[in-house]
Formats: sequence, C-alpha cells, structure tokens
Amino acid sequence: MIDLSVQLGRLHLRNPILVASGTAGYGRELADYVDMALLGGFIPKTVTRHPRPGNPPPRTVETACGLLNAIGLDNDGWDYFWQHHWPHLQTLPTAVILNIAGKSEDEFVELAADVARRGVGLAALELNLSCPNVAGGLDFATDAERTRRIVRRCREVCPNLPLIAKLTPNVTDITVIAAAAAEGGADAVSAVNTYLGMAIDWRQRRPRLGNVTGGLSGPAIKPLALRAVWAIARRRIIPVIGVGGIATMDDVMEFLVAGASAVQIGTANFYDPSVACRLIQDLPAAIAQLGTSRVRDVIGTLQTPE
Amino acid sequence: MPHLRHVRIVSQEKLAERTYRLRLICPEIARVILPGQFLMLRLAGTNDPLLGRPFALYDTWGDDSSSPLGVDIVYLVVGSMTSRLCTVPAGSVVEVWGPLGRPLPAFSELEQVVLVAGGIGQTPFVAYTHWLLGSRGYGGQAARPQARRVLLYYGVRTAARLAGLTDFQTAGAQLYLASDDGSVGWHGSILDRLQAEQPAGPLIGCGPEPMLKALARLARQWQRPCWVSLETPMACGIGACFSCVTRIGTAHNWDYRRVCVDGPTFEAALWHDAFSEQGSDAPLGSTGA
Ligand SMILES: Cc1cc2nc3c(=O)[nH]c(=O)nc-3n(C[C@H](O)[C@H](O)[C@H](O)COP(=O)(O)OP(=O)(O)OC[C@H]3O[C@@H](n4cnc5c(N)ncnc54)[C@H](O)[C@@H]3O)c2cc1C
Ligand SMILES: Cc1cc2nc3c(=O)[nH]c(=O)nc-3n(C[C@H](O)[C@H](O)[C@H](O)COP(=O)(O)O)c2cc1C
Ligand code: FES
Repeated sequence: MIDLSVQLGRLHLRNPILVASGTAGYGRELADYVDMALLGGFIPKTVTRHPRPGNPPPRTVETACGLLNAIGLDNDGWDYFWQHHWPHLQTLPTAVILNIAGKSEDEFVELAADVARRGVGLAALELNLSCPNVAGGLDFATDAERTRRIVRRCREVCPNLPLIAKLTPNVTDITVIAAAAAEGGADAVSAVNTYLGMAIDWRQRRPRLGNVTGGLSGPAIKPLALRAVWAIARRRIIPVIGVGGIATMDDVMEFLVAGASAVQIGTANFYDPSVACRLIQDLPAAIAQLGTSRVRDVIGTLQTPE
Repeated sequence: MPHLRHVRIVSQEKLAERTYRLRLICPEIARVILPGQFLMLRLAGTNDPLLGRPFALYDTWGDDSSSPLGVDIVYLVVGSMTSRLCTVPAGSVVEVWGPLGRPLPAFSELEQVVLVAGGIGQTPFVAYTHWLLGSRGYGGQAARPQARRVLLYYGVRTAARLAGLTDFQTAGAQLYLASDDGSVGWHGSILDRLQAEQPAGPLIGCGPEPMLKALARLARQWQRPCWVSLETPMACGIGACFSCVTRIGTAHNWDYRRVCVDGPTFEAALWHDAFSEQGSDAPLGSTGA
C-alpha cells in the first residue's frame, strides 16, 4: 500500500492531486468526467463579493502548447455562491477549498470573516492574490507587504481554516512574496497563477483577446512554474502547492521532487477532462518506482550539484 | 456518460473545396447524440494544437438508425487543428468527448421550417432535417415527423464550397442556394435571397456571426420565431472555462452565458449581440471594476 496523504501546515489531504480554481467550474461541470471520491481536493472558481460579468470575448486564445485567458473573474457573486453552489459543493466527497478574491484588502477580510461563519465543512481557504485579468489589478501578491497584511488579517478573522495564498509569478522574486505569506500565517502557497502575455492578429492589427492582455497557462509554462516552486521549496519557506502546465504523471512527479507538497491541475482539465483522476490512479506506481511507499518521502528530494 | 474517448477514424472523404467528412466509430455517443449537439475533438499525442475543437453532429451512421455505429462530422480546413486533421489517415485514433450542448429546437406538426446556413454552418442541418421530417430517429428515439417541409437556404462563397447537397436531398430538404460570386444559385448573400422570397415558418440559422445577427434582426422585423446556433471559440466544451460566452438577454438586461452548456442554439430574440454593439452598454450587476 502506498501512502498518498500529504500535510501542508494544518491542511491534510488524502492525496496530493487537486483541481485548480477556474478550471473546473463549481463542481457540477466536471461531474461526468471526474470521480470526486478520488480527488485530493477540489477548488471552485474564484468567488467575489459582487457579481462580475467578466471580460468581453474573445476570452481565450490558444498559443503554442498553451492557453492565454482573460476571463475576468466572471462569477455571480457572494450571495449567489452560497445559495446555489455551496449546497452542492458541500456534498462532494472530497476536500473543498474555497477560492476568493477581494477588490481591496478590506474586502478580502470581509469575505474571509464570512467564510469563517458559513463555510462549515470547508477544508481550506485559498486567497486569489494573483488574478492578472482584472482592470485595476487584483494581483495583490506583487507586493510583499500587502501580501503579508492580507494573509495576516484573513487569518485573524478566519482562524480555524487552513489558509493558502495563491501567488502570481509576475514578480522579480517569488520567494520574497512566499516568505511574506508565511509570515502572515498562511499554511501554504499555491504557485503559480498565470503568466502575463498577449497574442496579436497582425493582419488586423488587433489583440486577439477582448481584454488585450491575458494570462498564459498550460504545458508552455510548466518549466517556469516548476522553477518557481523549486525556488520557494528549497528555502523551506512554506509548503507549496505546485500549479502550472501539469498534465502528465511525469509532470506531477517533477513537481513533487522539486518540493511541491501537492499539485493542482488546471488547463489540462479543459483538453483532457478526466486527467486528474487518471493521475491519482497512476500515482502509486510512480511513487513505487522511487523505491518508497510514501508520497511524503518524495517531496523535495531533488538532488542538485553543490 | 460523456467522458474522453479514443475513437477510431473509419474514413475521411473530401466533400468540397477544403471540406471533409470524417467518419468515427463511437456507438456510445452515436446512440445518444441529438441534432444540434456537438463533440469536442482533439488530435491524439500532441500538445500543439493543445485544445480540442467543437464540431457539430453532421449525422449518425450505421445500418439501423436506432443503434447507429458512429458519427460523421464535416469540417472546413481553416487553421491549426483542421489543417492537421485532414492529413490524419483512416484507422488512426482521435480524442473525443461528448455529446455536448443542447439540441436544436423540436417542434410538433409544423407546416414548414426554414433553415439558414452560411458556409460550413450547414453542418448541423442534415441530421436536423432528418429529425424534423421524421426520416431518421436520434437519441434512441423512434423517428417522428415534426414538420411537413424543411427548406434549406444555403449560402456559400463559391460553388466549389458547396458540400453535402446529396445528403440534404436524401434527407428531404428543399434547397435554395446562393453564392457570393454567382457561381451557383442566387448571386449574392443567402440573407438577400431569404428576404426576397420570405418563406413562411420558423427560422433556424447557423453560420458566420454577421449573417446570424442579420437573421436575428430580420426575424424580429418579421415577428418570426427564430433560433441561432453559435460557434464561439471554445476551450473545453463542458462549461468549465467560461471562455465561450455570448451576451444573452435576462429579465433586466443581459448576462454572459456559456454557449457550450446553455447553447449552442439560442432564441434569436434573446441574443443581445444581434441588437446592440459590443461594449456599448453595461450589464446589470456590473461593478465597474
Ligand atoms: C458548437 C460548434 C460547432 C462547430 N461545428 C463545426 C463544424 O461542424 N465544422 C467545422 O468545420 N467547424 C465547426 N466549428 C468550428 C471549429 O470548432 C473550429 O473553430 C474550426 O474548425 C477552426 O479550428 P482550427 O484549429 O482549424 O483553426 P484555428 O487555428 O483555431 O483558427 C483559425 C482562424 O479561424 C478563426 N476561427 C476559429 N474558430 C472560429 C469560429 N468558431 N468562429 C469564427 N472564427 C473562428 C480564428 O480566429 C483564427 O483566425 C464549430 C464550432 C462550435 C463552437
Ligand atoms: C481559463 C482559466 C481561468 C482561471 N480562473 C482562475 C480563477 O478564477 N481563480 C484562480 O485562482 N485561478 C484561475 N486560473 C489559474 C489556474 O488556476 C492556474 O493557476 C493556472 O492556469 C496555471 O495552471 P495550469 O497551467 O495547469 O492551467 C485560471 C486559469 C485559466 C486557464
Ligand atoms: S468552452 Fe469552456 S465553458 Fe464553454
């Protein structure tokens, strides 16, 4: 028997494979493709205080081995979420991690306080400090001090839930931001959200995205995300959840060896909707190949030259 | 259950200029799919192109229509995925998930239905004609006539692009053609022809967005029931990515709706984009952020 369970601060997961926010809807969309009873955890699409229509289409465009998106946090808002999505999410036989975004620090804190009241049964709270696609910028995690403050204040008002800070890679040194999240009291960081990018139709001299710029995801960003995860993990700053281009067993194992304590599958859900469950089923064999029976023994075992 | 399947290509047949019919063996999908629904299709073993592409059901195939063996799709070679797809030989495997989306509208005891197709937008209408006229059953249901006549108004750039005419004739549609260059049928747009001839009955359109917008406005002017089947770019086809949205009217104003799960066919009167320019007004609940 291979022990797949992992521990990230106060968050315990039965296995390290989760689906990423914004890539699997609110739980119903993937129901036919994903056996929730297998998943390590499920993270619904970011919820905001007020309904947000999202950005004008086109919202996605495919690039070489990648996807550029500018959805713009399209969601029906806080009240709708608790009324319509939460009752269903509560029934899912997996760890549900709520993902929220505030327009301001105060709004983050207000939402986190409400989560503490209403989110009975949640496994954790993930703060989306890193959405690149919203006018005015919701990428709070470009600033270490703001990251520390938001995490600390959210932890104060929501003390009993494990807290995850989702970081943007669009910074000079992500380890500084990860350290700030750790100091604020986060249990883990998710690294990374999407990389800023754009695509142009030169014949029309127009951007291909309605929002002009967007965030790049998918296999194209995997080496970048892997390096970001390794940079945080090697300094043992805080447990890391690796996200970015993960689609195969090799990808999962590379992130674990690099130091991720868990991984999230994002864009791959779009083109291979059952991928997360297949990876979970194949994980024990891959772990066994390394001559161990515990996922935990694999995490952060990368050997680099001195 | 519509999970990802590895599906074998039986044949690829060129139907017209840059237009191919792909025949797939997939009895599970073929038995349940309805006209107007679509599949996501992805090339196996490559990450470039990365995403699947949606393709409408052209028709089911197999001797017995109550338990068909597979589906046909018909595609136009336009870009990265289709230019590779047309080189994939019979016997190869592609990745497919579906059926997805909602079917085209069903009717009962109608005199006449008018289908309006622009270019490759004709693809959902072969199965739909069979379904409406009751010459073939779908989704495990026995064939049942829903309309007495189906008129297909079908516009193309040029005669070389006309695809599947015999399939439409076999299905029983009456054809009304138009071409931009006058090489076949009416010289001009299919909407011009429709406007000139004003056939009776509900209108159902599929094709380029400008054509569908014009159709929706025409239907409003004629006070005619009308549906449009949209082809917004899709990344997942299953409602997970929120990329395929279009503006659909709500009780108060409009909201973005996912074409893959709430469509691809919408009542034209609710299709906000047809009646206003993009970005010219804000939706209810807009935070201005
Ligand atoms: C519900 C639905 C059903 C569809 N059914 C069919 C079908 O039966 N047969 C068929 O040939 N195609 C169909 N399409 C379109 C198809 O999914 C692909 O978009 C098309 O084949 C182009 O893919 P590609 O990779 O070859 O081109 P890409 O490389 O993706 O694109 C090439 C160029 O075409 C443009 N383009 C791509 N897709 C669209 C679009 N949907 N509308 C306008 N411009 C576009 C792009 O902007 C780009 O400039 C359908 C789409 C939808 C949403
Ligand atoms: C279409 C799309 C929508 C996304 N929406 C969200 C979101 O609502 N909240 C969030 O925290 N991350 C969102 N993300 C980011 C992903 O969760 C993930 O961090 C990123 O895509 C990198 O992983 P991947 O390459 O596996 O997709 C979105 C990504 C995509 C592609
Ligand atoms: S294509 Fe992903 S939500 Fe419609």
